[in-house]
Amino acid sequence: MKRIDATIVSSEELWDGAFFLWVRAPEIATVARAGQYVMVRCGEGCDMPLRRPLSIHRVSRDGSIAFLFAVVGRGTEWLAQRSKGDSLDLFGPLGRGFEVLPASGNLLLIAGGMGIAPLVALADQAVESDRSVTLLIGYRTASQIYPQSLLPSGIETVVATEDGSLGTKGMVTDLLPEYIADTDQVFACGPLPMYKKMAEMTDITNGKPVQVLLETVLGCGVGACLGCTIETLNGNRRVCKDGPVFELKEVVWDKIIAPAASGGIDNANLV
Amino acid sequence: MKTPGLSVQLAPDNRRGLLLANPVMTASGTFGYGAEYAEVMDIQKLGAIICKGTTLKPRTGNPQPRLVETAGGVLNSIGMENIGIEALVREKAPVWAGWNVPVIVNILGESAEDYAALARRLDGVAGVSGIEVNISCPNVDAGGIEFGSSPEAAAAVTAAARANTTLPLIVKLSPNVTDITSIARAVIEAGADAVSLINTLKGMAIDLVSRRPVMGNVSGGLSGPAIKPVALHMVYQVAKAVKIPVIGCGGIATAGDALEFIMTGASAIQVGTATFSNPHAPLDVLQGIEDFMKKEGVSQLAELIGAAA
Ligand SMILES: Cc1cc2nc3c(=O)[nH]c(=O)nc-3n(C[C@H](O)[C@H](O)[C@H](O)COP(=O)(O)OP(=O)(O)OC[C@H]3O[C@@H](n4cnc5c(N)ncnc54)[C@H](O)[C@@H]3O)c2cc1C
Ligand SMILES: Cc1cc2nc3c(=O)[nH]c(=O)nc-3n(C[C@H](O)[C@H](O)[C@H](O)COP(=O)(O)O)c2cc1C
Repeated sequence: MKRIDATIVSSEELWDGAFFLWVRAPEIATVARAGQYVMVRCGEGCDMPLRRPLSIHRVSRDGSIAFLFAVVGRGTEWLAQRSKGDSLDLFGPLGRGFEVLPASGNLLLIAGGMGIAPLVALADQAVESDRSVTLLIGYRTASQIYPQSLLPSGIETVVATEDGSLGTKGMVTDLLPEYIADTDQVFACGPLPMYKKMAEMTDITNGKPVQVLLETVLGCGVGACLGCTIETLNGNRRVCKDGPVFELKEVVWDKIIAPAASGGIDNANLV
Repeated sequence: MKTPGLSVQLAPDNRRGLLLANPVMTASGTFGYGAEYAEVMDIQKLGAIICKGTTLKPRTGNPQPRLVETAGGVLNSIGMENIGIEALVREKAPVWAGWNVPVIVNILGESAEDYAALARRLDGVAGVSGIEVNISCPNVDAGGIEFGSSPEAAAAVTAAARANTTLPLIVKLSPNVTDITSIARAVIEAGADAVSLINTLKGMAIDLVSRRPVMGNVSGGLSGPAIKPVALHMVYQVAKAVKIPVIGCGGIATAGDALEFIMTGASAIQVGTATFSNPHAPLDVLQGIEDFMKKEGVSQLAELIGAAA
């Protein structure tokens, strides 16, 4: 883990409020693993005392990393306004990433919306190590989707939309029963309700190892402040350091609460 | 110019003393047990490390969310999650014993007896250079009123700790009081070697959508740049009122911030929340103090302490 000043190589709005950002960061690119994240300093001076965690979305051989992020508040709003050539203060890579078991040849990846971000990095890694990948992606609607052209080649992709405007109509978890049979290991990233749903589908996952990437508000990023602690069957765990990837069956799901929809500084925008 | 003298003695009246190579400490709860940051910076260069607040029994802490960002600040309600004193003595202290940097253990309890037991347990433990007594916690016997909010209760827990250890004792003052100088005087009377201030200010935030408090535990403690002027003024008041070393804390992010506290009367300072946005903040602050002293031709830190008071 290092704190570095990285230069933005490109920034593109893929769809309404969703940004795809490449930054040159060889110190991070050479060691980053899928499921790890970077703490991005947003704003000027002491404007935003907390960094914003973003998953490693892609890693390129030339020493760059990509983020994929949704504008949801002040930090991501600021980040969306950065452009090519601007400097970004990064701290990472941090956390424990996805762990693909040596014997897992067939991987099933499940993305809920923006949850695609860390799973693309995982798909890239898996393809490189000759594993077969099926990626199930759930979107709200067809106009807000991750471009197929950016997905790694050689993987199978299946789409569900809540309004049925593309692929199967419904939630991504509805696709799970159909695709899980030949799978050795499952990896998921998405909103909390998706995980809670998956946690109830034990008869379908049927003992297969399932790893999920969990989000809470993070403070230090190194396991020091205990701001991000969650309850698991093995006691308290720090999302920032012991996670953000956890075994689905390890987390005490009814104790996990989604971050507030507003609050703190966000309310200032309402005036 | 030669390297300026940065060392400070924070417990001049204590037999063991608490000599720091420089005045920069890390604030309790923001730096874990020190090792968490070993990969990020050379922690041995710090003046001292203050570890997470420690209780007699391990504690699991408050529900999420525990952190909320506000204007220039952070609200936290960790709920004193910690591994407990036994695990600290067993697993952390032996690691610290091999370090050059002194480690000070922040303790807290629900009764004066808790503080007594904690101080007794730490006495003579290799790797522990001092105790910081956190009095910003509810006194169960007094219906949950914080020890730190009355001179009598603050003095009682200080005396309980004092009677059970020869270690240097720093008492950490709460800002959520009417007259902080009366608390400072009371804990000094009860045997504190130094006082540190401030702990977090009580605060809260509301989620407009759910119409509920944002924090899992309703309210939290405010830290970060937003509280710096408040902390600075309290350090000014206390430093004028007492004769023992005062340690300044609250919103320090840069050497300039630290020097303000020092000139106001602080002999040393603690960096807390700033480490979240700048993981090198403590050492950047130290470097900046040294640079300032060189530039201004100051040979000893003591020349700056209280210079503006
Ligand atoms: C390990 C990890 C990896 C992440 N990776 C990505 C990613 O690749 N792409 C992406 O778009 N987002 C990702 N997130 C979520 C992202 O960090 C938050 O959306 C971001 O911090 C919000 O900052 P803001 O200032 O824009 O919003 P704020 O004003 O801080 O908050 C706006 C809204 O977002 C919620 N929020 C704030 N922080 C978090 C958080 N850490 N997790 C979830 N919700 C939060 C708030 O409760 C509020 O509802 C990740 C989070 C974690 C913990
Ligand atoms: C996440 C967090 C945890 C904290 N935990 C403790 C603690 O265990 N004991 C204590 O005395 N102070 C604790 N504090 C208070 C800090 O040590 C410090 O007094 C306060 O944050 C003000 O300094 P700052 O603005 O530099 O952070 C905590 C602060 C934060 C932000």
